[in-house]
Amino acid sequence: MKNIFVIFKREYLTRVKNKTFIIMTFLAPLLMVGFYAATIYIATETGEDDRTKTVYVSDNNPELLLSHNPPANYVLLPAPSDSDSALAHVERGLVHAWLNVEDRDLRSVDSATYYTSETPSITEKETLKEWIRNKATQRQFARLGLREGQIDSLQSSCNLETKEVSSQGDVKESSSGLKSGIGFALAFMIYIFIFVYGSMVMRSAMEEKTNRIVEVIVSSVKPFDLMMGKILGVAAVGLTQFVAWIVLAVGLVFGISALFLNSGSGMTTKQAVQSGVEARTGMGGMGAGSGAAVSMGGEMSAQPGGMVHGASDMAAEFTEPLSNLPYFQILSVFLLFFVGGYLLYSSFFAAIGSAVNQESDVQQFMMPVTLPLVFGFVIAQTVALKAPHGAMAKLFSMIPLTSPIVMVVRAPFGVPLSELALSFGLLVLTFVLMVWLSSRIYRIGILSYGKKPTWKDLWKWLR
Amino acid sequence: MSPVIQAIDVCKTFGEQRVSKNIHLSVPQGSIYGLLGPNGAGKTTLIRMLSTITQPDSGEILFNGEPLKEIHAQQMGYMPEERGLYKKMTVAEQLLFFAELRGLSNKDAKASVKHWLQRLEMMDWARKKVEEISKGMAQKVQFVSCVLHNPQLLILDEPFSGFDPVNADLIKDLIIELKNQGTSIIFSTHRMDNVESLCDRLAIIHQGEKVLDGGVSEIRRDHFTGIFEVGFNQMVDWDLSRNSLPAETLISMQNQSDGKVVYRFQTSDSFTPEQLLKLAMTKGNLVHFSENIPSIHEIFVNTVSKSAEPIAGATKAAEPFVMF
Repeated sequence: MKNIFVIFKREYLTRVKNKTFIIMTFLAPLLMVGFYAATIYIATETGEDDRTKTVYVSDNNPELLLSHNPPANYVLLPAPSDSDSALAHVERGLVHAWLNVEDRDLRSVDSATYYTSETPSITEKETLKEWIRNKATQRQFARLGLREGQIDSLQSSCNLETKEVSSQGDVKESSSGLKSGIGFALAFMIYIFIFVYGSMVMRSAMEEKTNRIVEVIVSSVKPFDLMMGKILGVAAVGLTQFVAWIVLAVGLVFGISALFLNSGSGMTTKQAVQSGVEARTGMGGMGAGSGAAVSMGGEMSAQPGGMVHGASDMAAEFTEPLSNLPYFQILSVFLLFFVGGYLLYSSFFAAIGSAVNQESDVQQFMMPVTLPLVFGFVIAQTVALKAPHGAMAKLFSMIPLTSPIVMVVRAPFGVPLSELALSFGLLVLTFVLMVWLSSRIYRIGILSYGKKPTWKDLWKWLR
Repeated sequence: MSPVIQAIDVCKTFGEQRVSKNIHLSVPQGSIYGLLGPNGAGKTTLIRMLSTITQPDSGEILFNGEPLKEIHAQQMGYMPEERGLYKKMTVAEQLLFFAELRGLSNKDAKASVKHWLQRLEMMDWARKKVEEISKGMAQKVQFVSCVLHNPQLLILDEPFSGFDPVNADLIKDLIIELKNQGTSIIFSTHRMDNVESLCDRLAIIHQGEKVLDGGVSEIRRDHFTGIFEVGFNQMVDWDLSRNSLPAETLISMQNQSDGKVVYRFQTSDSFTPEQLLKLAMTKGNLVHFSENIPSIHEIFVNTVSKSAEPIAGATKAAEPFVMF
């Protein structure tokens, strides 16, 4: 026991005292925020194809009035009467494309063709489809005798508020968007942490082996103690970093919310909540990738002010549900499953590090270890976010290789204590089993130099 | 005196290969014990068993008369042939870590580190990282790391390999100093240069078997060949047949650069060293007469080449590092 502590102390102190660690602890959150800000900026600002496109239009159905009100960045020209020369012009690049609408039926415009020399993007196709569909719809309204202004005023809006009824009979405002966001962010952190700190354990084991330190150490420490000290020491480094981030984040959140509370009055908050919900429903559709959402996104970016407006509304909308979240449960689930998942995976990583002789041999063993982790992350992104209480989400939040990630996504939505206990129990059992197996590989791996180990060797060491 | 460590009928097999075959050995307290053998003889395997890193398949190892357990590792110092240090740690941190691993309290560890750094005049280097100090300096740190806890038994696997001559001499002096303080020392080597001056006892291991064991002077006496050297200032006419001596009695003649001529004779019961000396004295300017005692090197080569199988070869590949 004392030796585990001596190893633990060394692993922890050498890492925490490292300048890179200190700098990264403060820099990583900034980099992360910067990374997402940049992604969002690029997606909204420069994701569009902003070339002006000249397109021939064959207006076979004069009722559609296709040559009026072209979509943004499109210049429409009447097509030459014979289709051969229209196609020849497209091919020679005189025009970007030729849009040929043959259909005369307004209810379903079926035979419309878009001829281009380059394959159009999905966005381009959807934009044009929506544009034609809108035109057709508007013509149908016009047939009923409605004017354009009347049509807009007939569009209804809806705001659905969600409230949660707890067992004590309290009714609280809830936000599934916020919960998804928090769950996903925590799952992402676990995913990254397991990779970063797991490979730290692996490199540490490899360093001792390649620098030939390990034989000196195992003459006074049992290989199991060495491995456990290492795994726990690195875990403590991870937790230290995590606590530092929480402190930073809480500081930031308090700073920002203080700013918001001072500037907003009650009335405007109420309005903001309404428009915020509308904005967010649109965003959700966009994520699903439906055709309608793409045009919605296009419309939003057409009015640059709208985006910024929506964002500040969203922040305001979250203030109340933010205070209603089961913080204690979320945080304790996160910590328990983070530690459990890390311990499980890092024991694999330690075994790999002890078996190989050089970095380049790592790859063949990493694959089967990282696969379940990546799989868990994919499950978390898809199934667990859409249906946190569904059968799939429940199944994968029980399987120990994926549960650390999937369970954390489910946690903000409220998971029954019995499920949490079962899942965590399974995780701990698997972890104990894996540490035992890994230590058997470790024990032999660290003293085996020479040829590159194979899966067969590892199996032999296990027995 | 009772042995500090004792191996009784120890066997170890890796896969098909028997690396230690029924080894018996006994290291007296306060002695320096040399384990000799060509590369791949099984020295490292034996040493790993003595230092609790691996366990024998059969047989027993006793430490101060008790069956060897992991707890005994606290009273041992071990410097493996494959050795290294943490590059990113400072000299002092590193030594402190090793001292604590060997069971010293933080306070004792600090005192010991200070003592040794002062002893080797390395205080100025204590705060330097290992990657910043010279290789020779790192070698000293390496040696100190195994003696910090004042072990009862110090096990050194090929301690002089990789050390420059100046450091090798320093290590040699330290080994003798530790011995005088009562530490028992086992070291393995495949080079014979240091054996005669250092060891009290030695064992020769060849292909997993102990082929020779004993005190250094006894071994040499046992291998006494009866060869004597007689030196003159000029060539001498021995005229062996007139003294009714067979021609084989005179083994060789050597003209040395300083003009001396040295003859080597094989003595026996029928031609004793006294008779050789008397004969030599009749030949004039006798300047040198000595018994030709075989060096450990010669004994080693003789013993190893005499054993049934040929030497495994000088390559390290013969030594199995993989442990099943």
